[in-house]
Amino acid sequence: MNEDLLKKVRKIEIKTKRLSRNIFSGQYHSAFKGRGMAFSEVREYNYGDEIRSIDWNVTARFNHPYVKIFEEERELTVLLLIDVSGSTFFGTNGSLKSEVITEIAAVLSFSAIQNNDKVGVIFFSDRVEKYIPPKKGSAHILRIIRELITYKQSDTKTDFATAFKFMNNVIKKRCTCFLITDGFGKFDESLQITTRKHDFSTIIIRDNHENTIPDLGLIRIHDNELGKDIWIDSSDKKLLNEFTQFRKRQDEDLKQKFNRLGIDNIMVYTGEDYIRALMNLFEKGGRR
Amino acid sequence: MKERRMKMFSGFEYPYFLFLLILIPLLALYQYFFEKTAYPTIRYSQISPFENTHKSLKIRLRNLPNYIRYLAIALLIIAIARPQSYLSRDEKNIEGVDIVIALDISGSMLAQDFKPNRLEAAKKVATNFMQERHNDNIGLVVFAGEAFTQCPLTTDHPMLMELTSKVESGIIQDGTAIGDGLATAINRIKDTKTKSKTIILLTDGVNNMGAIDPLTSSEIAKDYKIRVYTIGIGKIGMAPYPFQTPFGTQYQNVEVKIDEPLLKDISKATGGKYFRSTDENSLKTIFKEIDNMEKSIIDVSYYQIKKDLAFGFLVAALLLLIIEVLLKKTILRTNP
Repeated sequence: MNEDLLKKVRKIEIKTKRLSRNIFSGQYHSAFKGRGMAFSEVREYNYGDEIRSIDWNVTARFNHPYVKIFEEERELTVLLLIDVSGSTFFGTNGSLKSEVITEIAAVLSFSAIQNNDKVGVIFFSDRVEKYIPPKKGSAHILRIIRELITYKQSDTKTDFATAFKFMNNVIKKRCTCFLITDGFGKFDESLQITTRKHDFSTIIIRDNHENTIPDLGLIRIHDNELGKDIWIDSSDKKLLNEFTQFRKRQDEDLKQKFNRLGIDNIMVYTGEDYIRALMNLFEKGGRR
Repeated sequence: MKERRMKMFSGFEYPYFLFLLILIPLLALYQYFFEKTAYPTIRYSQISPFENTHKSLKIRLRNLPNYIRYLAIALLIIAIARPQSYLSRDEKNIEGVDIVIALDISGSMLAQDFKPNRLEAAKKVATNFMQERHNDNIGLVVFAGEAFTQCPLTTDHPMLMELTSKVESGIIQDGTAIGDGLATAINRIKDTKTKSKTIILLTDGVNNMGAIDPLTSSEIAKDYKIRVYTIGIGKIGMAPYPFQTPFGTQYQNVEVKIDEPLLKDISKATGGKYFRSTDENSLKTIFKEIDNMEKSIIDVSYYQIKKDLAFGFLVAALLLLIIEVLLKKTILRTNP
């Protein structure tokens, strides 16, 4: 690992650690717990349960094996679904969207580690690029951050469905899942399935210049995902109008979809203070 | 004879430079691929919102500066090939033949065995002859009892024809001085620089006047290398001759007397030919025959004053390049 990267990791660590300690410490616990924070019950032993989790007292009393589910389900698993598709490689306001995604992911990871929760990461584009299984410990967190930073951006497309399918296959237990993306892509019914299975919330990262484009005359823009180029006349009022209308419609559709499925969602703009937005998200979750 | 013609365009000095025009499609191809691969672009997250949106005029005209540049380059290449127009000057030095027609205008030429009479018929045929040989110097000498020059050697044929039409019998003393007529004609023709000199002598009688013997004249003609074609005019036999009487002009049939041996001698001595014309048609044929025999040598020298047209192309190319740069820097400015 080179010097720069180390510095970056440290910086993110310091920044996000402070944030997570002061502000987010355990917040998503209360926000997303749903169950398992306190011992609630014992249940009958099923085939495949660990023997050591058997509550011998209860078993002796009922003459039938029971297991304590208290211990296992107390700790949460936080899963970060991180969009590394080509479209995140854009940003005009101080940082790229992918950088903001990295930072938010780091903040969430440190927050999780504060609570001794497991953190796992799925990098996806139109396929699952990398999977880091949920684990505990700051070494693991640093690894995740390292991966986040070093992950080589490729000009790939976005396909949410493959990521969801993979996640549904790999993660059997209910977890707290954050989808961090720019929202440029298609969602299908796999979103609904995932939502039912997990505590699901979405953080959408956008750049200001994805809503409007500045007047630069004739410009040639390159689609990171499709690898295609197009010439546009950015001085053309009619074009700009059509563009903003298109974006507005796109965002509205997205929002509607999320709301219908009861998914908490926030939109963060690059260069904006994402902490406030995150707090907002957790408060939303708390209300639910 | 000089002829000046200004041609607009006549060719290239270095036409092989035009092969450079192949460069233009190559350049266009290069430009196309460069723009596709190496041209700087702005990376953006999503272009789908821009597809199928309004296309402004600027977008449509985006490649205009390129086209203008290709055109400018084409013009430059054409300028390198040096298109030229030439001010061409054909100097046709036509070695014409000098011809003096010696025409007998004695009273007997009014005889009406030719229609309307011999003189008019001869004039008509001579005029036709003059009209056809417009590259030659032609002169006209008339003789009767004396000889004088009606028209010196000239290429101004309209004037010559006018002067010919004014010829009338009776303007000089009557008689037939063949020797004098021939001598006058020789005098007119001898000093010209033309190689081919010809006298056409028309008469209808016998030499009966004059200071110079016809044979002497033919000797002189021979010395000057002048060909003499002699034409005897008159029907064989009797012909109606006019006679002036107190009661007006009367016609009387008189036997036609032509000194044919003399005329034959003259023509023979000078390398010409004797003809006998008995009516208008035969006269025409005779002149045609002479016309064929006296073919003029045409020597054409050709000058070209070349003028380069490249400058105009250069200026046009320069203007186009300026327009291209202006368009590129202002209206059709591209970023980055």
